[in-house]
Amino acid sequence: MIIKGRIWKFGDDIDTDQIYPGKYLPLTDKSEMAKHAMEGTNRAEEFRKDLRSGDIIVAGKNFGCGSSREHAPVSIKEAGIACVVAQSFARIFRRNAVNIGLPIIQMREIGEIQDGDILQINLETGVIENLTSKKVYSGTPCSKLELEIMKAGGLLRYLKEAR
Amino acid sequence: MTIIEKIFSRASGNEVRPGDYIWAALDLVVMRDFGGPNVVREYQSYFDNNKVFDSKKVVITFDLHIPARDERVARNQNLLRKFAREQNVRLFDVNNGIGQHIIIEQGLVRPGDVVVGTDSHMNLLGGIGVAGFGMGTTDIAGAMFKGRAWFRVPTTIKVIVNGGLQEFVGAKDVILFILKKLGTDGALNRAIEFYGETIERMNLEQRITIASMVTEMSGDIGFITPSAEILQFLGLNTNLDGIVADPEAQYEAVYEFSVTQLEPQIACPHSPDNVKNVREVAGIKVDQVFIGSCTNGRFEDLKAASLLLKGKKVKSGVRLIIVPATMAVAQKALTEGLYEIFLSAGAVVTNPGCALCTTGHPGILAPGEVMVSTSNRNFIGKLGKGAMVYLASPATAAATAIKGVICDPRDL
Repeated sequence: MIIKGRIWKFGDDIDTDQIYPGKYLPLTDKSEMAKHAMEGTNRAEEFRKDLRSGDIIVAGKNFGCGSSREHAPVSIKEAGIACVVAQSFARIFRRNAVNIGLPIIQMREIGEIQDGDILQINLETGVIENLTSKKVYSGTPCSKLELEIMKAGGLLRYLKEAR
Repeated sequence: MTIIEKIFSRASGNEVRPGDYIWAALDLVVMRDFGGPNVVREYQSYFDNNKVFDSKKVVITFDLHIPARDERVARNQNLLRKFAREQNVRLFDVNNGIGQHIIIEQGLVRPGDVVVGTDSHMNLLGGIGVAGFGMGTTDIAGAMFKGRAWFRVPTTIKVIVNGGLQEFVGAKDVILFILKKLGTDGALNRAIEFYGETIERMNLEQRITIASMVTEMSGDIGFITPSAEILQFLGLNTNLDGIVADPEAQYEAVYEFSVTQLEPQIACPHSPDNVKNVREVAGIKVDQVFIGSCTNGRFEDLKAASLLLKGKKVKSGVRLIIVPATMAVAQKALTEGLYEIFLSAGAVVTNPGCALCTTGHPGILAPGEVMVSTSNRNFIGKLGKGAMVYLASPATAAATAIKGVICDPRDL
């Protein structure tokens, strides 16, 4: 699976209240959730106005820490984000992303990647190319089991087919 | 093998190693009043009206927005009640309390079990040797259908805590101190095993306090092997072989701390690992104090607060909110005279539940307001935009409520 898109860069420890503020937890409609993606961050305004479908989030360590709310990856995916690249992911966020079919990949060297750069990501091999700076990085791809679930379109589709 | 390796080997039917991806059989699947409605919607959209894998192994608990605070919440709660009836699964309604505590009190979990639920603090069950994991709605919907969930087997770190604690220093101070040392991602993708005389001496509530904040270190789970006393309290006669680490178990790291000199600790805004001695920030004016939560809402926690509040008044202009974790805790607090102390002091005591964990519950702060809370998180905006939240023990919280400023209980 190859993903290509424009970068939105965020820092370390972006928690689930920044990704999706707790006050919107009662929402159940996914397109409504999408309107509040990243609303608790300091780039909320920009993100809402300028986000394009297919964009990619690049973040520092421990992305998605905090609560178990699945609204966090759902809102990002429904808003049009094609992939999240981070130095590390919080455990629950990582599995939620896999389970709903939001592509993610871990990569240590995010320092040189600038906001607005175009990245091309191979989810299977972990090769990440910065098409803007022409640099190539190697990320840590997800496990075989996680990739299978992501590719099936999420856990429930995967389990339904497996029965 | 470490404890988690033993538990996952049993639950997956294969000998596992750290880093393996496995499917584990589940002993209990729990959903709560929020999260739960979306689990049911997801479940029904994929699996229609198919029966859950085992109706005795699925439980619904109402603990956050209870009783329903608005019409949407009320509709969501009814959706769960209807699902419980149709699927013949147990539901603990608004008059019970925090889910994890309810399943412990009801004897629904045993050491060595694998439990999943829609609450990020499911891992407080590690305090009694249960492998509890917080998960999202999709995971729980899949778990209810299949009775299994996928896991990455974590590596394990060992945390050894030794030394007697000073007066007014308790489990919350110990875990805040460990958080300061390990940091908010110090246990990421790892399990913790807690050992040492300080831990071994702890009662049930203290063990729960310790295990609950493994979440704030991003850990999968933190185990404390139950003592004979804990097993007796739980009414269990369990063989501990499956939850005792082998002598040759491999640990990724070993941390050893002495807490003999430990002072009351407090996590300052806006991170649970921004921990200082209470005396370093003493004197900061507070607007509200909260005593409760899955971390510090049990009887011993309320008791610790009551010892300081007895015969005293909450400082004028300060709001003290006290919330027992469960109805059983509330009843014991009533019998033992704690309500008399709290109400006379001017506290608001609400019905059992999670209370001030996140926005959406009564007690949220206005911008610029300061709160000392016995809960487990102080992320920015979690309890109101622009609010400043400090995390501390019930004793520190009670002392602060009396003084109206952050106060070390030893200085009251």
